[in-house]
Amino acid sequence: MAEILVKFEDKLIERIVTEKRRLSIGRTTDNDIVLENRGVSRKHAMIEFNENAAVIIDNESLNGTFVNNRKISEEVLRDSDVISIGKYSLIYKTETSQEADEAINFDGTMVLNTKAQRKLLENDRVDRQIIEKYGGSVLLGEENADFLEFKLDREVTTIGKAKFVHVKAKGFFLAGIQAKIVQENNNFSLVNLGKAKKTKLNGEPVSRAHLKNGDIITIGKSTFKFVEGSK
Amino acid sequence: MRIALVSDVHANLEALEAVLNHIESENTDTICSLGDVVGYGSDPSACLELVDKICQIKLIGNHDYYALGRESSNDYSPLAKISTEWTKKTLTDKDVSILDSFTMEEVIEGIHLVHASPFKPQEFHYILTHKDAADAFPNCKTNLCFMGHTHVPVIFNEKPGQPPRQRVGHDFVPQPDCKYLINVGSVGQPRDNDPRASYVVYDTETRDVCYHRIEYDIKSAQRKMEEAELPEMLIERLAVGK
Repeated sequence: MAEILVKFEDKLIERIVTEKRRLSIGRTTDNDIVLENRGVSRKHAMIEFNENAAVIIDNESLNGTFVNNRKISEEVLRDSDVISIGKYSLIYKTETSQEADEAINFDGTMVLNTKAQRKLLENDRVDRQIIEKYGGSVLLGEENADFLEFKLDREVTTIGKAKFVHVKAKGFFLAGIQAKIVQENNNFSLVNLGKAKKTKLNGEPVSRAHLKNGDIITIGKSTFKFVEGSK
Repeated sequence: MRIALVSDVHANLEALEAVLNHIESENTDTICSLGDVVGYGSDPSACLELVDKICQIKLIGNHDYYALGRESSNDYSPLAKISTEWTKKTLTDKDVSILDSFTMEEVIEGIHLVHASPFKPQEFHYILTHKDAADAFPNCKTNLCFMGHTHVPVIFNEKPGQPPRQRVGHDFVPQPDCKYLINVGSVGQPRDNDPRASYVVYDTETRDVCYHRIEYDIKSAQRKMEEAELPEMLIERLAVGK
């Protein structure tokens, strides 16, 4: 059973477990997921579940729907994808887990002109330019990296201290090949090969994990951002 | 009209002053205290005087009720009993007359205010679950009912034909076709794992419900409770918000 975790400004406020085939998201109370905030349209978006996939569809909302920081109109959802709508984020889980100058448009939805919304839109624009330039997924060097942009066009991209790796990382006690990024059917995964605590995904040590757009990879002292190309 | 809603100050002067400072910056027209000004903390008299001076609406909470020597049908914890006895000894005649002027419930500007639950307010029932909320909703005099008592900021809502919802307190705009029970959290002893003081501002025109969390000098509050020899557990919980 799918689960949606609803967060407001990083605070978990609600957990929605459902068997419905279709979930509507919006500000008014006739939606399945009600987000009572001015930045949300009355009928903002919809999640549809079919045999093997869940798809989110933006309903031409005023402030947009973002999946993993990318503005979307329609997008297939994968486990742990983060949907951003206004100040809310909805985390999609395939299985139930244990755990202001604003103007009002005709339906009463305010145009969000907050810092966070501008940042979302700006990041989305920059990411799209990069993807267009390289025609696929890219690794961005954020800290202690010897490149700004690195195209991920191999099946396996190695990261570590050794001379022969594709992506050099800095830091003590790093393995020659500390980690690798594996590409399978246009899906990317990060795999740790060295000391467990030296490979982190979004701040958490990781052994193997699927990569999502906007993920931050830390290898020792080096930090990279994963920008996913369109599929 | 912008209304500040504070609750469960529990004789924590440091937290109350920090919240009142913040309210000043929020441009509110009125401040309502939803009860339990005393109990647990070391500054009942100072808090009572401040609330009496600054708040336009002052409701009585179960701890205020006990401090007046009145009985309630609800049992209360041994720690609450110890602090009530301590509070009773500390209160002056003036404090008692202030407490005695507090009311059980109010309706202003289309909102219903209670300390614990709109269901028999004088019995101070806890609204912790959907079921508790379902019992309380028929007693709401307006679509929006604000309360405190559990020290946990939470929002319940009910719409005919739909399952009830429960969410952690957060900024939102109530929808006109829905009933809401809104717990504003606690100023002086939060219990949602966030030690910062909690209060809410409601704007009757825009209908925005806005939660605020305010840092205050917890160490000073704890030091004064130690000097007053209040139970250790009551002192420690301030730092962790439990």
